[in-house]
Amino acid sequence: MTEARRGAAATSVRHGSFLPSAVDPQVFDEAFLRQLERLMLVSRTAVRGGMKGVRRSVKHGQSVEFTDYRDYALGDDLRSLDWNVYARLEKLFIKLFVEEEDVTVHVLLDASGSMAGGSPDKLVFAKRAAAALAYVGLASYDRVTLTILQGRVARRLPAVRGTGRIFSVLADLSAVQAAPGATDLAAACRHYAAQLRQRGPLMLISDLFDPNVERAIAELAATRCDVALLHTLSLDELDPPFEGDLRLVDRETSERVDVTADLATLDAYRSRLAAWQAHLEAISARRQVSYVSVPTSLPLADLVFAELRRRRVVA
Amino acid sequence: MTLLAPLALLGLLFVPLIVAFYLLRLRRHERTVSSTFLWQPLVRDVEANAPWQRLRRSLLLLLQLLVVVALVLVVARPSGERAAGLARDLVLVVDASASMAATDVFPDRLTAAKRAAIAALADLPADGRVSVVAAAESARVVANEATDRGGVSRAIESIEQSTAPGRLAEALTLAGELAERARGAEILVVTDDAASAAPEVVLAVPLRVLTVGAERDNQAIAALAVRTDPSGLERAVFVSIANYSDSRVVRRLRILADGTPITARDLPMEAVSRADVVIDELPEGTRVVEAQLAEVPAAENGAPPGPADLLGLDDRAWAIVPPDRIRRVLLVGPGNAYLQTAFALLPNVELYGATADEYEDTTGKDRFDLFVFDGVLPEELPEAAILAIAPPASSPLGAVTGTLPDPAIGQGPAAEPLLRNVDLSRLHIAEAQSMELPDWARLVLPGSGASPLIYGGLRDGVPTAVIAFDLRQSDLPLQVAWPILATNLAGELLGLAPGGVEPVAPGSPVELAMTPGTAALRVTRPDGSVAEMAPSASGATTVTWVETRQLGVYRVERVLEPAQPGASNQVASAVPSPSASAGASPADGAPPQGPEDEPTYFAVDLFAPEESNIAPGDGSRLVALGAMAAPDTAPAGVARDEWWPMLVLLALALLLVEWLVYERDGARRIGAAIRRRIGELTPGRRRAT
Repeated sequence: MTEARRGAAATSVRHGSFLPSAVDPQVFDEAFLRQLERLMLVSRTAVRGGMKGVRRSVKHGQSVEFTDYRDYALGDDLRSLDWNVYARLEKLFIKLFVEEEDVTVHVLLDASGSMAGGSPDKLVFAKRAAAALAYVGLASYDRVTLTILQGRVARRLPAVRGTGRIFSVLADLSAVQAAPGATDLAAACRHYAAQLRQRGPLMLISDLFDPNVERAIAELAATRCDVALLHTLSLDELDPPFEGDLRLVDRETSERVDVTADLATLDAYRSRLAAWQAHLEAISARRQVSYVSVPTSLPLADLVFAELRRRRVVA
Repeated sequence: MTLLAPLALLGLLFVPLIVAFYLLRLRRHERTVSSTFLWQPLVRDVEANAPWQRLRRSLLLLLQLLVVVALVLVVARPSGERAAGLARDLVLVVDASASMAATDVFPDRLTAAKRAAIAALADLPADGRVSVVAAAESARVVANEATDRGGVSRAIESIEQSTAPGRLAEALTLAGELAERARGAEILVVTDDAASAAPEVVLAVPLRVLTVGAERDNQAIAALAVRTDPSGLERAVFVSIANYSDSRVVRRLRILADGTPITARDLPMEAVSRADVVIDELPEGTRVVEAQLAEVPAAENGAPPGPADLLGLDDRAWAIVPPDRIRRVLLVGPGNAYLQTAFALLPNVELYGATADEYEDTTGKDRFDLFVFDGVLPEELPEAAILAIAPPASSPLGAVTGTLPDPAIGQGPAAEPLLRNVDLSRLHIAEAQSMELPDWARLVLPGSGASPLIYGGLRDGVPTAVIAFDLRQSDLPLQVAWPILATNLAGELLGLAPGGVEPVAPGSPVELAMTPGTAALRVTRPDGSVAEMAPSASGATTVTWVETRQLGVYRVERVLEPAQPGASNQVASAVPSPSASAGASPADGAPPQGPEDEPTYFAVDLFAPEESNIAPGDGSRLVALGAMAAPDTAPAGVARDEWWPMLVLLALALLLVEWLVYERDGARRIGAAIRRRIGELTPGRRRAT
């Protein structure tokens, strides 16, 4: 993308009133667009590195970046011979360059029933985070694939490339609704892994409220992509504002649990939550998966340029 | 331990009721959450749905059950029993005399006595009956054979401090009569036993004494009076201060005239001594004199201050200065400029004049205080003070036997009050009446032989004086001695040196005069409160005021009848003229009026040495007044100590703990919210900076 094209994209984002009608203004409102605009301004230099692994293929190929030498073999392109070395050593060496690959950024969005609700709304936050990450990928000249995990399936949206497609990403995300009923995250991840053709950075945005979350992580880790889990929890899940005798109803399964929300119970809940997050982080680390706990109150800029960079999800 | 109301234990049925309510209290509010995934393990821990598990862990339920049990026990009235220390019928005498206001025990002796009396009731048998007698300015029964301890305690608390000497003898007599009604009764006296003499009472029942008080340091104003000198021109204040303490003290005496300080003196006083102070400089027109006794600050007298005065009631006293009353003098004779001038110059004297002929027609003679007959004498002498000058004939004033030319002048008695400051050594008399000294008279100035020149005395109780020579036949009016002699004569004959208005003892009734035209009297008490008194019967000349409990000055004003408004405002003009006609006499014009429409005052003072001497006794003198206890006639009862106050406190404490436990989460939540808020603000500040 040229600077002129990037400027045009920034201009179109800045004027939210000219958004395509398919973009949900409730999700991608003025505040989000201002955040995205700020993301653009900041990322002009920062995202040049792109996602982790962009242009970092293990293969050697044609590019301008030198990596190594090897002995000349018959049939090699003579244009790759290093004549300077030959002049000094009188041996033929072929210059090797980094192979530039067409990298695909995989953004997986959990749209299960448990993602609906929360304060701030988890699904809205997840959509915005997905849009922000997709933009970063697009700005890095990468192909971005957006996938919605619902039920036991992974619904993959058409891949896009270039920042000019950001609005189609927003439109696609606007159409995402939380699915009623139970979700099998592991099955959905397995389903996605089966469809995967091109490796690249893979980011799962989910609350991970699934009994088989470990298998889901394992499925994603098995794709040999650079997997990052963006564990999204709302504030009332991190610190429930409950008091008294309550009957808690599971949004996905409609299962009912009676609790007395006294301070001891809430302390026990917080301890349980912390232990669960620590467990997830541990198994993620074991499978070389980056685990990032993301509260829904976190600003997008902080998410992209602080949290994800700190966890080396973004270069 | 016994339960006075065992049926109250039925209240324990509330215990299973509360448990049942606790088990049934399962109504819950539904809340939708993203997932119950994390809550499931907690439910297994807390077991919120398992009632018995919940009961096992509920501190609140335990506390509530304990509160119920405590309240049930309160109603059941558990008590312990022990042998009673007092008779079943008790007459309690509480001394409320003025000395009980001493502050040597906190806050004062009477309050301590009330506490001791109420505490002593604990030794009363359970079915004991108590009569309470207050020994104040009179003996008063405030509770009669009461069995309700609370009522008895309230009756004891209702006893007020008296400012008067206590009638302990009267109270003991009354208590003895009350005690004799029941067999085996006894009397319990709570007093400081500060009286110097034991009451003269013999009691037929045993008597016990509880004494209060510890110290005796007190100084008192023992007397305060205002006196006028014989001339009626000057007044002096006499104050007597008594030190009842057994140590030397310095006290400051302040004198106030109508509320304005006029002098202050520091009085060093030896232990158990008395000091008298005379203050001459009383301002003219003063109506009320107040004496105050105060401590001298240590920095001023250079010595450490003595012990504090423990009784404040006797540190102030008031005296009423009698008003200057106008005295009317009728001068009868042909006219004498010397006499007229001398009497006209006297203070508070109105001089009227009449000739001998006019005298007979003069009406209202009873309104004159002094008749001066100059060379004349009526056939019928008035029943008032008389000064006769050169009486022409024999009369009850003295027999006239002739005339004495150029009589010799003798020397009068040195202590003769009429000759005080009078020098008659250069007196010359051309002629005098030869008179015989009557029996009622004392010789003031002797003449030749047995014939007196001046004599005076009380004739049938009437002040009378006689000058045997005509002033114009002597050079006495030209001498300095004349106005002094005239003043001395007027002072004795008119009684111009009266004492002040006597103070009233606290609690004593006061007779207040009702002058004609007065509908009622308005009395202003020392604290400023006002009461009106109307006579109980029409035509009454006095009313009785009995509310003299407050120490201080009472002001009495007349409330005129509506039909005679302003009648007393007319004041007759007096024209002293020896040659005046009978028309100038009081009988012809409006009668001369006194100051009846002006307010009058009376003071109530505690001049009671037996109360000011607050040295407490040990009560042995009082115990000796009672009969010996007869143990066989007074069976020991059983005293009962109820425990419900402790149980009430326990229930309140349990309620407080229950509330704290219930609100524990709320308090911790608030604390956590505040900490979280502070935590949120801190990075915000960092960003702002």
